[in-house]
Amino acid sequence: MALLPLTAAFRQDFVVQLVPVEDTDTMEVVAQKVAAHAVDLRVAARNVPMLVHFKGKRLSPLDTPLSAGIGPMDYIEVGYADEYE
Amino acid sequence: MPKLSRSDYYDLTRDMNWHLTYVAENEAFPPEMAGNSGDIPREEWWKWDEPYKLTYREYMQNQADKDTMTYSVKGAISRSHLFDQVDAGWKSAIAAHYGAIAVPEYQASFGEARMARFGRAAAWRNMATFGTLDETRHGQIQLFFPHELLGKNRAFDWAHKAFHTNEWGAIAARHLFDDMFTANDALSTALQLTFTFETGFTNLQFLGMAADAMHVGDVEFGALISSIQTDEARHSQQGEPTLKILVKNGRKDEAQRLVDIMFWRSWRIFCLLTGLSMDYYTPLEQRTMSFKEFMEEWIIKQFMDQFRDLGMNPPWYWETFLDELNWYHHGLHLGVWFWRPTVWWNPDAGVSPAERAWLETKYPGWNDSWGKRWDVITAHARKGEIAQTLPQTLPITCNICQIPIITPSNPKRQHDLGPYALDYNGRRYLFCSEPCKWIFEQNPARYAGHKSIVDRFLAGEIQPPTLMGALAYMGNPQEVGGQDAENFAWAQETPVAVGASH
Repeated sequence: MALLPLTAAFRQDFVVQLVPVEDTDTMEVVAQKVAAHAVDLRVAARNVPMLVHFKGKRLSPLDTPLSAGIGPMDYIEVGYADEYE
Repeated sequence: MPKLSRSDYYDLTRDMNWHLTYVAENEAFPPEMAGNSGDIPREEWWKWDEPYKLTYREYMQNQADKDTMTYSVKGAISRSHLFDQVDAGWKSAIAAHYGAIAVPEYQASFGEARMARFGRAAAWRNMATFGTLDETRHGQIQLFFPHELLGKNRAFDWAHKAFHTNEWGAIAARHLFDDMFTANDALSTALQLTFTFETGFTNLQFLGMAADAMHVGDVEFGALISSIQTDEARHSQQGEPTLKILVKNGRKDEAQRLVDIMFWRSWRIFCLLTGLSMDYYTPLEQRTMSFKEFMEEWIIKQFMDQFRDLGMNPPWYWETFLDELNWYHHGLHLGVWFWRPTVWWNPDAGVSPAERAWLETKYPGWNDSWGKRWDVITAHARKGEIAQTLPQTLPITCNICQIPIITPSNPKRQHDLGPYALDYNGRRYLFCSEPCKWIFEQNPARYAGHKSIVDRFLAGEIQPPTLMGALAYMGNPQEVGGQDAENFAWAQETPVAVGASH
C-alpha cells in the first residue's frame, strides 16, 4: 500500500485537482476521495452511483490503481453514472 | 543663437549608426542578447523609424508635467475620504493590479535597457532609452501610491511583497514576465513586450481602467493609470518598426511565432486580472461593458487591423481563443474565489441576483453552467457553512501559464476536463491548453527546469505538506486578503438555490 497522488476532476466540476489516494483503494473509494473535493462544494450532491474513467475506459468499482495501471499524477475522471448514459 | 526646428536636426542627432571595425557585428550584438535576426543586413536595421518622435529635452519636460499633475491629484485626494467610499470590489481589483504589476513594471526597465543597448538601430536604442526611464517611473509610482494606502488596507503591502513570494499568482506573473522581458533578447522583447503585450493589450486596457476608476470615484488611481498609459502609448511603438523589418526581410514566420507565443500568454494573465475585475469586481452600476465586449470591440479589432496592415496572420489557435472569450475567465473567477485564502486581495463573488442577471445577459447560458456551481456555494453561504465554501486540496497548475487547469481550452473538448500532458526528459508536464503545450514545445530547454507550485509540493519543498503549509510557502496571503469582499451579503439576497441540497 502506497500513497499515490493523482490529477483528478469530477465531471460536472470545472477544475483539475491534486487528489491523494492509496494504490490499493478500490475505485469506489477513489471516486469518493475525488468527489470529496467537488461534490456539495461546487457540484450538487445526488444519490446516484459514481464511475471512474481512466484513459477513456470505464473502470470496475473493484479495480484499484495498481490493477488498472494508474501511476503517479495520471489523470482520472469521476462522475455520476447517469452523466455517461 | 538661432534655434533649429526639431525636424532639421532630429534624424542627424538620433542616427548614431556606424560600421564597426574594432569588433565583429555579432560580438557587439550577440544573438543571445540582440536576438536572432538571421542574415538581415545591418543597413536594413538602420531604416528602423519610430512613428513617435521625441527629443530628450521634450521627454523630460513631459514627464515632469505628468508627475506634477499625478502627485497633485494624489495630494488633494489624500486629504479627502474619497477612497474610503470606494466599493470593496474595486479595492480588490486595484490590490490585485498593484501586486501583479508594480514590480514587473520596474523589471520591464531591464528589458527596455537591453533594447537600449542591443537594439540593432540607433533610433530603436534611442526610443528604448526613454522606455527604460518610463518603466522605472512606473515601478516607483505604482509602489508609492499603494504604500500611502497601507494605513487603510494592509493588502496594499503586497504591491511590493507579492513578487518576492511564491504565491501562485505571483509565480504565474513572474514566469510570464521573465519570459517576456526580464530574460528575453532585444528583438523578441520588441515583438513580445512592446508589440504584443503593450500595443495589443495593456495600452487599451489602461485606457479602460482609467475610465473605470473615474466611474467608481477612484480619482487617484485614474490619474495614476492615465499618466502611465501615455508613456505606454509611446514606447509600445518600438514593436511595429521592428516587425516591419522582419517581415520585409523574409523573417515573417519567426515574427509570427514570437507573437503567437506571447499573445496567448498575455491573454492568460489578462483574463486573470482584467476579466475578473470587469465582470465581477467592478460595481454593477459602474460597468460600461462586459469583458467579452471589451475584448471584441477594442483588443480584437485593433489586433486584427494591425495584423492585416502588417501582412501577418491571426495566431493559429484563433478559434480556441474566440471560444474562450465566453467562458475562461468565469472559470478563473470561480477558482480564485473558492481558493481565496491563496490570494492577497479579497475576491468579490459578484453573483448577487442582479449581477447574475447581468452575467446571463452578457453571456447567455451562464446560469446553466457557472450559475449551477454558484448555487451550491450560495446555499452553504446562506446557512453560514463557510467551511464548505473553502478548498481542501490544491488545483493542478499549468506548466507554462502556472494558472490552475480548468476546462481545457479547446472547443472540441469542452466535456473533457483532462489536462494536456507531455513527457519530456523523464518528467511529466501538464498544460491547461493546446497553445500552452505548443509554447513549451517551442523551446523545452527554456521552460523544462521550472517547477509549478504543485511540482514543488510533490517534491517535498512545501512543509508541512498541507494546505496551511502551502499558504505559509506562499507568504501567507490570507493574512491580508482571502476573505469574501462583501462578507457574503450577496448570498443573503439570492433566492434559495435549486439542486444544492445535501
